[in-house]
Amino acid sequence: MKKDLEQQDTVIEVNQLVTHYGQRKILDGVDLNIKRGEIRVIMGGSGSGKSTLLWHILGLYQPTKGRIHLLGQDIHEISFNDMLKLKQDIGVSFQSGALFSSMSVGENVALPLREFTDLDENTIRIISRMKLEVVNLGGFHKLMPSQLSGGMIKRAALARSIVMDPKLLFFDEPSAGLDPVVASEIDDLILSLRDTMGMSMVVVTHELDSAFKIADKITVLDNGKNLLTGTVEEIKASTNKRVMDLLQRRSRHDKLDPADYLKRLTQENYTLS
Amino acid sequence: MWSYQAIERLGFAMRLFWDSFYWLIIGRRYKQRVRLAQVIEQVRVNGFDALPIVMALSFVVGMMLSIQLLYALSDFGAESQVLLAIAKSVTREFSPLITGVIVAGRSGAAIAARIGSQVVSQEIDALKVIGIVPVRYLVLPPLLGLMISMPLLIICADVMAIFGGALFSVQKLDMSISAYMLESFNVLVVGDVLQGLIKSVVFGIIIVLVGATTGFYVTGGAEGVGKATTSAVVISISFIVLADMIASYFLTQ
Amino acid sequence: MTEEFIRFEKDPELCQIFISGEVDLSNSGELRKTILGALKTTPAVKVNLSGVEYIDSSGIAAMVEGLQFANSHSKSFYLCDPSPQVRSILELARLDQVFDID
Repeated sequence: MKKDLEQQDTVIEVNQLVTHYGQRKILDGVDLNIKRGEIRVIMGGSGSGKSTLLWHILGLYQPTKGRIHLLGQDIHEISFNDMLKLKQDIGVSFQSGALFSSMSVGENVALPLREFTDLDENTIRIISRMKLEVVNLGGFHKLMPSQLSGGMIKRAALARSIVMDPKLLFFDEPSAGLDPVVASEIDDLILSLRDTMGMSMVVVTHELDSAFKIADKITVLDNGKNLLTGTVEEIKASTNKRVMDLLQRRSRHDKLDPADYLKRLTQENYTLS
Repeated sequence: MWSYQAIERLGFAMRLFWDSFYWLIIGRRYKQRVRLAQVIEQVRVNGFDALPIVMALSFVVGMMLSIQLLYALSDFGAESQVLLAIAKSVTREFSPLITGVIVAGRSGAAIAARIGSQVVSQEIDALKVIGIVPVRYLVLPPLLGLMISMPLLIICADVMAIFGGALFSVQKLDMSISAYMLESFNVLVVGDVLQGLIKSVVFGIIIVLVGATTGFYVTGGAEGVGKATTSAVVISISFIVLADMIASYFLTQ
Repeated sequence: MTEEFIRFEKDPELCQIFISGEVDLSNSGELRKTILGALKTTPAVKVNLSGVEYIDSSGIAAMVEGLQFANSHSKSFYLCDPSPQVRSILELARLDQVFDID
């Protein structure tokens, strides 16, 4: 798989993406190039801009500068209808699941089909329940999201995100907050979806085990910049200090300044300089 | 800072109103069709379900008016004018206002809470990435729902308030209840009822726009949703009273 | 494309449907109509999937509907020669255990 990845066409291309939140630069010239059938994991500490990058690729935020191409189309230049068509080829699984709380699990999964296809009710029912079977939630279509556990919510959200058979699938923290067994089930699901449906995926996560298991390539973001992109082996072998910190989960302040530390603990009006 | 925020939100609310009708008219072409079932559901939740409380309170307001008016007018020996005073003031002023306040408390709060919690739980983002325009899906149905159900509520409120007034006034006026009711409907002109109906539609729009705007601006989790709900009710009632005054001024010229 | 998309071989006992190319939202409705139509007139229907390069969920759903119809009208419905890719899609939803696959 990995060998012929380079010959595949590019499905996601991000060029020199810059974005601000107020005065603060969140992304500072990020590049990304993802091939068909690739699973790309984006890692980084909190505040590295990895979620922000995801929202920009999905067109939820407008960047200050830079270009984003999905499936060969510039998402900032395309018409409403073309964007709508493009969105049918994209599935997103949110960190919180983002299931519509007023609808049952089955209605959640069926919603994109109801809105954007002319399929009849019987077909819609079969497709949406089939997707629930895929994520191992067969028979749970009648439950409301509030009745589900954390892992079930993630799986139901995954079912909704693949209901239109998308070509691109985006995950925000698929295994965050789940116990290791459920987390590894979701990883297996991600892999089998790629292998059977040939989807390309972008997974934002800070879980190392899961990242190493599923990734074809990993991009490490730091302070809004690409720190490193490479295969799992390359990342593991990296001698870059920030990457090593991330892998070993060490704090950024490896050298403690005792005077400053004492100030942080004791001064009433201490602010970060 | 405060006024800047207020102007920004006012602009946002105007934009919601404009976008709602934009998608209503043009949505079909962009696969953003408004489902009739969704609108009917909103008429049921915001109109039909509010009917008992609206009718009960307007009945009480009618009685209260007749108590006060009988007392005030008896000084001039003009008790017979009570019927006219109640009929006119109820249809033109009291039933839209009472209904507006009740619906603001029920539906305005519910809309703000619903949209607010959907912002917090990323459901709005989920709608967007699926390709559903949030305004079309979340704002337009209650907007149409209230524009339809408010006038219907007003008509029921009018009848109940006049009935409440009748119940208290008939023995002083020496009339039967049915004669009182009939006479009330006789003294009303179309303009009286129409004034109340027009106001109620405006109030409905205010309630939805204020509820949705405060909902979309929610930050800070569950606590933020709670705050938004409270402010949606207070702000929409304030705007309703203000709009009522302005509308009364222009519609009684 | 659409001419060759579905091909029949029909005798009184068995109707064979050959599908080729890509099955997606644009033509799955046609497939569904063909399958259900064939099941109404013949006691057994066999869908040959050897020429299918890609099939989406609506195409799979059409075959599930065929099976549903066949089972409730005591007729038989088979799939045959699925490509590895089609088979893996069926396996993903564990439908390989539901269909009769030759």
